[in-house]
Amino acid sequence: MALGGVVRGKRTTLRTPVEDDLAAYSRWMADLRVRRAGAIWHEPAMPATWKERLKEQAKEQRVVLWSIETDGRVIGLARAQLGNIESPPGAHLQHFIIDPEEWRKGYGWDAALALHRYFFDYLDLQRCGLELRADNAAALRIAEKLGYTEFGRGHEVHYRDGAYVDESWLLMQRTMWNERWAESEREYVPIGAGR
Amino acid sequence: MFGPRIVGDNDVELRPPVLEDYHLFRTWGMQPEVTRFWGPRFTRETPATAEERLKKDLEGQNLVFWSIAYKGETVGLTGIFDISWTSRDGETGIFIGRHDLHGKGIASEAVRLRMAFIWNELRFHRAHNWIALANRGSWRANQKSGYSQMGTFPRSWFRSGEWFDEWLGEAFPGTFPADRLPSPWRDEEHPK
Repeated sequence: MALGGVVRGKRTTLRTPVEDDLAAYSRWMADLRVRRAGAIWHEPAMPATWKERLKEQAKEQRVVLWSIETDGRVIGLARAQLGNIESPPGAHLQHFIIDPEEWRKGYGWDAALALHRYFFDYLDLQRCGLELRADNAAALRIAEKLGYTEFGRGHEVHYRDGAYVDESWLLMQRTMWNERWAESEREYVPIGAGR
Repeated sequence: MFGPRIVGDNDVELRPPVLEDYHLFRTWGMQPEVTRFWGPRFTRETPATAEERLKKDLEGQNLVFWSIAYKGETVGLTGIFDISWTSRDGETGIFIGRHDLHGKGIASEAVRLRMAFIWNELRFHRAHNWIALANRGSWRANQKSGYSQMGTFPRSWFRSGEWFDEWLGEAFPGTFPADRLPSPWRDEEHPK
């Protein structure tokens, strides 16, 4: 755990984060568009602090970090807590950030689908949860397309841009993955299928 | 940080925890009677780490924490945690460790005192919590002080063959019942 391995989408790849990614991380965390859209992973900082954060992330027992890249350049990050002691085995997607300069190109959808394939098709998790700001239409659209449904709504949760915004709490069950994606989204072909 | 002493009705008060309370908290968390809806009933804490934990809570900038006393004796804990000072929001929690005292209204009174402090002294905008749906006494205690349900999280705990959902609640300053405002905020001589 801790630093994620390679998960390939059609246009993006989630891969192990490296120190060379950290300047982009810091730039995104300082971007008001990113901060408006959702939770950031740490405040902007000097390079040495980011290196320390990456080291600490590598020690995490249950939270995994990936960089997202396309055409050899890093365009985002994803961070998820995996596994539960008391509730069904699941993931909690804590951060999913795409470089604002790369928004509206379909990279977010592609990386999100690949990541959920890893959760359900590879790890056999039973569900995945996340929280989204209620005015983040792009993220809500991706979540809805994947199969998330709202189980709670916090009112006036986050203050930014001079006003409060609601928070939507979403959950995607394995049954939904099976229904919508299990046929088309397999990482490996069944053993013997190619013979 | 620790909250100040707030004296309520029916011999209930909130007060800053002391080291002996931390030993009680650890012991209660290991008892089956009070961990039906409060898991996972194992800990990394030992008598030796209690002081360290106390210092960590005391110095923490994103929590306010109290012991709950009943008739002068510590019987539980409550507080507000994971505070966002920007959004002025935090997650509240309460735990009555003395199961022989369940049903006496201690939790309701502790929640009333806690929420009065949060709204009148911390100038919070919102508070929220997660409580087992089957733990009716606990979410009812919160409802009396202005919490309302904002959702239900499915299958949070598995106990003795049953899955239990969670009740998700939230409260705002305007939802606190004005006629339940405790002292000193209700006192005429209180400099509002």
